Amino acid sequence: MRVILVIAKNTFRETIRDRILYGILGFSLVYVAITYLLAKISLGDPVVLKSFGLAGIYFFGSIITIFLGASIIYKEIERRTLYFIFSKPVSRLQLVLGKFFGLFAAVTMTILIMAFVYFEVMFYSSGSFDTPALLAILFQILETGVLVALLVFFSTITTPLTATIIAVMALFGGHSFSSVLRTAHEIGGPLYGFVQSIYYLLPNLEKFDVRSAVVHGVSFSATSILITIAYAVCYATVLLSCANFFLKRKEL
Amino acid sequence: MIEVQNLTKSYGGRVVVDDLSLTVTTGSVFGFLGQNGSGKTTTIKMMVGISVPDGGSVRIGGKDSSDLSMREHIGFMPEAPYFYDRLTGLEFLEFCGKLFRKHRSEHAYSEILKQVGIYDARNRPINTYSKGMKQRLGFAQALVNDPNYIFLDEPLDGLDPLGRREIKNMIVDLKKRGKTIFFNSHILYDTEEICDEIGVIHEGRLLYVGGVKEFCKGQPLEKRFVATVEAKLITNNS
Repeated sequence: MRVILVIAKNTFRETIRDRILYGILGFSLVYVAITYLLAKISLGDPVVLKSFGLAGIYFFGSIITIFLGASIIYKEIERRTLYFIFSKPVSRLQLVLGKFFGLFAAVTMTILIMAFVYFEVMFYSSGSFDTPALLAILFQILETGVLVALLVFFSTITTPLTATIIAVMALFGGHSFSSVLRTAHEIGGPLYGFVQSIYYLLPNLEKFDVRSAVVHGVSFSATSILITIAYAVCYATVLLSCANFFLKRKEL
Repeated sequence: MIEVQNLTKSYGGRVVVDDLSLTVTTGSVFGFLGQNGSGKTTTIKMMVGISVPDGGSVRIGGKDSSDLSMREHIGFMPEAPYFYDRLTGLEFLEFCGKLFRKHRSEHAYSEILKQVGIYDARNRPINTYSKGMKQRLGFAQALVNDPNYIFLDEPLDGLDPLGRREIKNMIVDLKKRGKTIFFNSHILYDTEEICDEIGVIHEGRLLYVGGVKEFCKGQPLEKRFVATVEAKLITNNS
């Protein structure tokens, strides 16, 4: 555990010193602040403010995650910084977990900074704290965990460009395959089986998208929240195990 | 003691290290010599546990190189090292030190940086370091756990004459402290000065292992090395 924490801390420190991170974060904060103006245009309708604010946090959070994660292991292999690490008492699994937790912590911090600005804007415009939005932020952090694990896995076996493309496809597919599956079910035949297999392979990111429901005041049971947390943990665990498997077999 | 037994490694069907066996006695300096692509770096990577051998074994201080606990007692400096550029020299050294079980104080890290001559630059980001300073930082991280066995891959590469002398002095000093040093180098003049024993590798096969004086037979090391490799090339061609 000590070694994982040391690597995570180092990854976190490296990540938060990335200048481009501040560029994207600054842009996202301006966007979230601007949603206040959108609320004014829409005659103070809180739904517009909440929808744009939470969507902005999600959009910029995903960009930051993909940008920082696509090369997280790849660059260590290419630049041979892994030589320093693996000549010390560090296993492949400890490296994978350390990289995961370090990047996850850095991305979570940026999401929380954006969320803080969002809650400030909400409080200033409506005079009350947007408590239900906390659930949307929590679920976004869970989705980010899955995305970070996906990027750690793909950056172990492929280039940053390919990892980026796959991550974007997984984001898109993960949010849209539920409806594709429903359509395929209506059509039936071998297509349904094919779509079903892809559906189970891809992360079901729709589980984490509670933004609309939160904005419209839909509540969630503790059980459904726990199931979503368990799903994120299980999916990330499988991806990180696969990353460890491939890294063990990789010639450095 | 470092014991290498029948070590073999292939990449894509090409044998890079072929049935290599050698022993390095505790407290000695061993120079591992060979042309570019002869298998020196692959051998050292298998010795420190970065690469897994296809066959054979490496035992360091009685422990197999695949044993993580063995790595508590070794230090390794890779060739032309790259670093985490956004960290400072001191942060990088602390990061490396904390990967070991034994806790070290900040004073200990400062002492190592003083030893390799980059203490004044300790709080500067590594991306502002010169090539020679990075080489010294690479050397520093290999000493961070006060290892008994030190593996250096081309430690004198990229250093100016003064820098080379300082590193050589450090190697001699480490030997005096009872450390065992194994290093790859193609700078043969320096090797001759500081080594107790050498190994000559060519196309993955060990051509010679033993004392420097016995190998040189009164001639300069570089001349004897070239003659040995050329003789092997002629044998292979005929």
